[in-house]
Amino acid sequence: MSSGCPPQSPAVAKSEVAIEGECPLLAATFAYWDNILGPRVRHIWVPKGDQLMFLSDGEVTFLANHTLNGEILRSAECGAVDVKFFVLAEKGVIIVSLIFDGELKGDKNTCALSIILPQTELAFYLPLHTICVERLKHVIRKGRIWMQKGYNIISVLSLEIVPIMELLASMKTHSVPEDIDIKDTVLNDDDIGDSCHEDFLHKAISSHLQTCGCSIVVGSNPEKVNKIVRTLCLFLTPAERKCSRLCKADSSFKYDTGLFVQGLLKDSTGSFVLPFRQVLYSPYPTTHIDVDINTVKQMPPCHEHTYNQRRYMRSELSTLWKTDSEEDIPPDTVIHTDETFTPDLNIFQDVMHKDTLVKSFIDEVFMLKPGLSLRSTYLAQFLLLLHRKALTLLKYIEDETQKGKKPFRSLRNLKTDLDLTVEGDLNIVLAFAEKLRAGLHSFVFGKPFYTSMQERDVLMSF
Amino acid sequence: MIGSPDVVAFTKEDEYGQTNPDPWALPEEFSVPLYPLADSNPWAKTSYAKFTKDFILISEFSEQVGPQPLLTIPDDPKVCGTFDLNYFSLRIMSVDYQASFVGHPPGSGYPRLSFVEDSRVVLGDSKEGAFAYVHHLTLYDLEARGFVRPFCMAYVSADERKIMLQFQELSLRFSQASECLKAGNRRAFAKELQRKLRDLEYTHSVLQREEGLQREAGPQCMYSAHAVEKANELANVEKSIYEHRDLLRQISSYHCRPRRDPHAVTCQKCMTECLNECEELLDKYAKLANPFGYTDKGGKGEEGRGQIDDEGGEEEVEEDEDEGVKRRPSYTPQLIKAKSAKCFDKRLKTLQELCDETFYEATVELLKETERSFRGDLCYLHTRRLDKALRRRQRVTNFLFEEDLGDDDEDEVGTLRPFCAVNHAVDNYTFLNPPPIVLGPEPLELDSLEPPDPLDLASETSHTHDSELGLGESHLESSPSDQTLETQESSEETKGSFSSDKSGVGPAEKQQSLASVRSEPPDPDSDLTPDADHNTDLERESSSEEMETTAGDDEGDNGGDQTPVSLLEVVSELEGSREDDCERETDGACELESDLLVPIDTACCMSQDGFLYEASAPEADPHLGQSSHHQPSETLVVNQEPQALLPLQDDYAVGSPCSESPAAGLELPVGLLGDAVSRISVEDGSDCTMSASTGSDRAASPLGYGEVVTLRQRKKAGQGALRFVRQYPFAMQALWCLLSGRTLVVLGADEGRVRRLVAALALFVPGPGKCGERVQAWLSCPFTLTDLQRWKLIGLQRVASPVGSSMLYSLSRYSRYISILDADQKTLRCPPYRGQLLANIADHRTYIRRGSTYFLHVQSTLCRLAAKAFLFTFTHHLHLPVSSTEGPEVVEGRRRCFLQEQLGLGEEDSQILLYLSQLITQQYLRPATGSSAAAPCFSFNYTTSVLYKI
Repeated sequence: MSSGCPPQSPAVAKSEVAIEGECPLLAATFAYWDNILGPRVRHIWVPKGDQLMFLSDGEVTFLANHTLNGEILRSAECGAVDVKFFVLAEKGVIIVSLIFDGELKGDKNTCALSIILPQTELAFYLPLHTICVERLKHVIRKGRIWMQKGYNIISVLSLEIVPIMELLASMKTHSVPEDIDIKDTVLNDDDIGDSCHEDFLHKAISSHLQTCGCSIVVGSNPEKVNKIVRTLCLFLTPAERKCSRLCKADSSFKYDTGLFVQGLLKDSTGSFVLPFRQVLYSPYPTTHIDVDINTVKQMPPCHEHTYNQRRYMRSELSTLWKTDSEEDIPPDTVIHTDETFTPDLNIFQDVMHKDTLVKSFIDEVFMLKPGLSLRSTYLAQFLLLLHRKALTLLKYIEDETQKGKKPFRSLRNLKTDLDLTVEGDLNIVLAFAEKLRAGLHSFVFGKPFYTSMQERDVLMSF
Repeated sequence: MIGSPDVVAFTKEDEYGQTNPDPWALPEEFSVPLYPLADSNPWAKTSYAKFTKDFILISEFSEQVGPQPLLTIPDDPKVCGTFDLNYFSLRIMSVDYQASFVGHPPGSGYPRLSFVEDSRVVLGDSKEGAFAYVHHLTLYDLEARGFVRPFCMAYVSADERKIMLQFQELSLRFSQASECLKAGNRRAFAKELQRKLRDLEYTHSVLQREEGLQREAGPQCMYSAHAVEKANELANVEKSIYEHRDLLRQISSYHCRPRRDPHAVTCQKCMTECLNECEELLDKYAKLANPFGYTDKGGKGEEGRGQIDDEGGEEEVEEDEDEGVKRRPSYTPQLIKAKSAKCFDKRLKTLQELCDETFYEATVELLKETERSFRGDLCYLHTRRLDKALRRRQRVTNFLFEEDLGDDDEDEVGTLRPFCAVNHAVDNYTFLNPPPIVLGPEPLELDSLEPPDPLDLASETSHTHDSELGLGESHLESSPSDQTLETQESSEETKGSFSSDKSGVGPAEKQQSLASVRSEPPDPDSDLTPDADHNTDLERESSSEEMETTAGDDEGDNGGDQTPVSLLEVVSELEGSREDDCERETDGACELESDLLVPIDTACCMSQDGFLYEASAPEADPHLGQSSHHQPSETLVVNQEPQALLPLQDDYAVGSPCSESPAAGLELPVGLLGDAVSRISVEDGSDCTMSASTGSDRAASPLGYGEVVTLRQRKKAGQGALRFVRQYPFAMQALWCLLSGRTLVVLGADEGRVRRLVAALALFVPGPGKCGERVQAWLSCPFTLTDLQRWKLIGLQRVASPVGSSMLYSLSRYSRYISILDADQKTLRCPPYRGQLLANIADHRTYIRRGSTYFLHVQSTLCRLAAKAFLFTFTHHLHLPVSSTEGPEVVEGRRRCFLQEQLGLGEEDSQILLYLSQLITQQYLRPATGSSAAAPCFSFNYTTSVLYKI
């Protein structure tokens, strides 16, 4: 604890986390509203090493307490996790707080898990906000169970706080820039097939777009991996690019849930182990691209992915609920199973659906002379077309269903009317639309899918 | 095989509907829902909010009643519905965000003003479904506790994601509003201090007089209790004077303090003005506040130096004071009673009273604009922004089917105000830290930093927002009628010249009129900021007359024996001038060459003959086109990168009134594509064109009516287009005519019906012009051949009169070049179309329900067409001979092969792409040639027209 501030009572526990590189996160805190003493800070995590800005423990405590101000009025439903986001210019910090209720010493308390960053990192942090919040929300779900059982929540929270520190540190050095020079991508090749096989490129981009722009690129050569990462990022919005990461030249980053595109380096044995759980927890299905062997695999579409994800989450939480001892925190890598749910480990499958949109784009873009801005312009036209098609599709469904009040039953008409009869084209446009209107896949395909899955599960249980 | 036990199994309660809960099962409150609401209805995420749409709430933490809502924008109770504003105010104001010391700091004799930075918080009430961006700020009030009044402005929405994704834009706009309020508040606070000091001075003088009287009345060595009390009172007043003077000094030093908020947006002019006022007051009261000499000057104050006064020249001081007295408002100083300083039962000032009125009004206006700009569904806001960002990267083709980037109404509201709330010019702004992009490459902020229009700069001095708005509105109101009038006048003028044109217009005349246009080039700053837009309407308006009378050199191609008589007439009429031009070209070509040569790609193997010239002299323009006609085998292609020319063409306005001038006439050799197809390129805006089509009821354009066509108008037209497609089975043929450059005449007796049809079909006119100049919505007089070149879509009145018969004559005369859609008989006469490219947007069996959806569909289809045309235009190897031995036929064959085999297009579909490509080429080369608008080539087809009926 730093000097100059009155000692906290009881003393605030503090963990120093060793992070490679410069971590933009100043501290993370867990605070709760004590029904007698008011807001109290229970634990502080700080990255070890040099930081852009120094906050004393007293200041951290002050800020952490601050996040609970006004929460005496909280009237959220049980189990809800609310997010508060502060930009305190007076203190020069931004604070992200997740407010939730939990049981401490038999009392129901309002708690806050917060991360604190310098205000100067606002632009850096904002695109990553959703990723951090979603990951923290899930660890809070686990933490609430732990609190309910009377166990120490800190050990559970640490499971995600540390990776988030690592994520932010890695993004600080290796995030994809907002503006990508087409010269650093495959699209600058003189001819199609110069850098990679034509069919591979087509398949990679097509699948990448079908999985909402979410891809992992693995390989042994970092330059090759990064070239494909940048190429795929050309098809993302600038904000999404800021949520993408290049691979590190010397050693590989760990897979991080929630990033759009990430480059990962294989180890010396030529393999890369993907954590099943983290990949499944990604908000969108993922395309797996191996640049060494030119393979492209993809996860099932959004509605199936979301369904699998939720079932896995429920299973994981259920397993935690049944844990008898505080020491038995199930590690993240363990595949959670129970009698009702066995995850399908074969989540990456071949790209089944061919498209015409990407195919013609790839064929045509290489006809334009490289080195000029012709290809960038053509790419912009292609992206504009996709965005507009997605919006048209959304509007079509909106009209048909009276904004979701009626079920959507005219997919065939939609395909004909909007010229999306080729399955791959439909998948791409639907993926764009999904990003604009979350839950669209489930709305369009969900019900029959759930029904069939339920029937299958029931049949399998006999 | 499934037996009966299996069937029974389906009736078993599974985990989705268990009747006997497992004691070990995870309670739902600790789990995640398997089927969240978003799955069953992605539109219902925000449905449980008690308010209908987003709004802005201004709340105050009142020291008397606690948090209370003050104002909502929009100020309509329906917006908030049953949402409890009191409770929500309590929630958002209960964040103790400042935690800075306010009041008397230890060791300081005087109270300190606390200059706290604004705080921004996003929070929500998940139960109520309400989320808010909350901007906390502090205003100063002399009568408030600690002199501060905490306020907050909140943007309340049911969509949390919308707030977070647009956090930086919200932050920027609210910072702007906050700075405006604070600037007004500092001014008001200084005035309040001024009044207070005057009261204190007056009180001091009264007390001093009383104390003197008592001292004189009492014994010399003794003071009565009353006298002591008076002396204490006097001392208190003196202390209070020093304190208030110190407050004045503090508020004057506001700007000197280091800003800790990197995201604050300050207007330097507001800051400086306020500072000057404060300093003026400070100077004055540093002297006036000398309590000991107030009465000596008869209540006017005097130059006696106080203890902390700065020494200055006496004369100067006198002058200052005189000025101060002269300017002093009619305020009568009041006696301040003892112990009245801490009076908490007073009525607190309202927000209006706390701020200078101008600033308050400006802030409210700014917030209203903010509310408007963030209104609507996130998905549409997001896409619109992405759309705009992407369109900015493809300016070379935007003119074909896209509305103008800077002038769209909806974009306007999405654009940040370029001025501070009280309309100081943008260059006064200081972005301590320009906001980075959140949703996309945000052009809005960049736009806002563009220099304002000169007219806006002129209005800067007025400082009144109303006046500026009034100005803008008056432009808006007057412009359509004015323009119509001008158009009519100019048309009348040119009508006269048409008769002379029939007998042959001299080239000198043409040059003269050409020169008159050239002498007043269009405003290069047409990429407008919202407010500047109103002003450019003026420019547009004023320039429209010139544009309408623009004359140009015609050029054409002799169609050979097959060329119709009328065409030959026109061609022969123009022959003379062209020959002259040709001579001039041969003379001047060498001189021009070095300057006009467009930087080309050296890797390109195009022959020197095919180089493109940047014509700086207008005379040079036609010859280039001319040469292309004389040597049709020469392929003029674009072989330079589009971006290289962007700085030049950045502000182009396709076919806008201010850009109607002769074109280069550079064309792709489409004539070679088929034997039956030939083409003539006639200069746009030639005298004869104008005069012939003059009608008394002529409208400028079907959509914009002389003003910029907005996205909203186009969306509206989408409904008409959908109706047209549903109603007419031959809609595809009509669309093909428009897209392939064949003029479509909509004939009908009912003006409303014709206008509606034209408005709907105008969506499909490539390069309609910024204000829809290529479309004539309603014409009640015969048209000429050159009209057909100028207008690609004409609404023609059917009348049963001599005029009507001449109109019918003109229709039959030019039937070879036009397609006729008879709105009354519901027929279409045009060449047959057998392509597939348009099948999807002209299917009368479409299930698309709404016009807006159909518009989106059309938009994406046209976007694809534009992309293909771009590809065709800029694929160099298609248009260039690979070797010197390669003849034009080979090149032509390659182009044909590309269209047919690569793009899979048939004959008619190819014509669409060729026409679009031709327009792109002209548009692209236009800035290089120095002319401002490219006239589309006039194409005609010898294919027999077919009559389609319902």
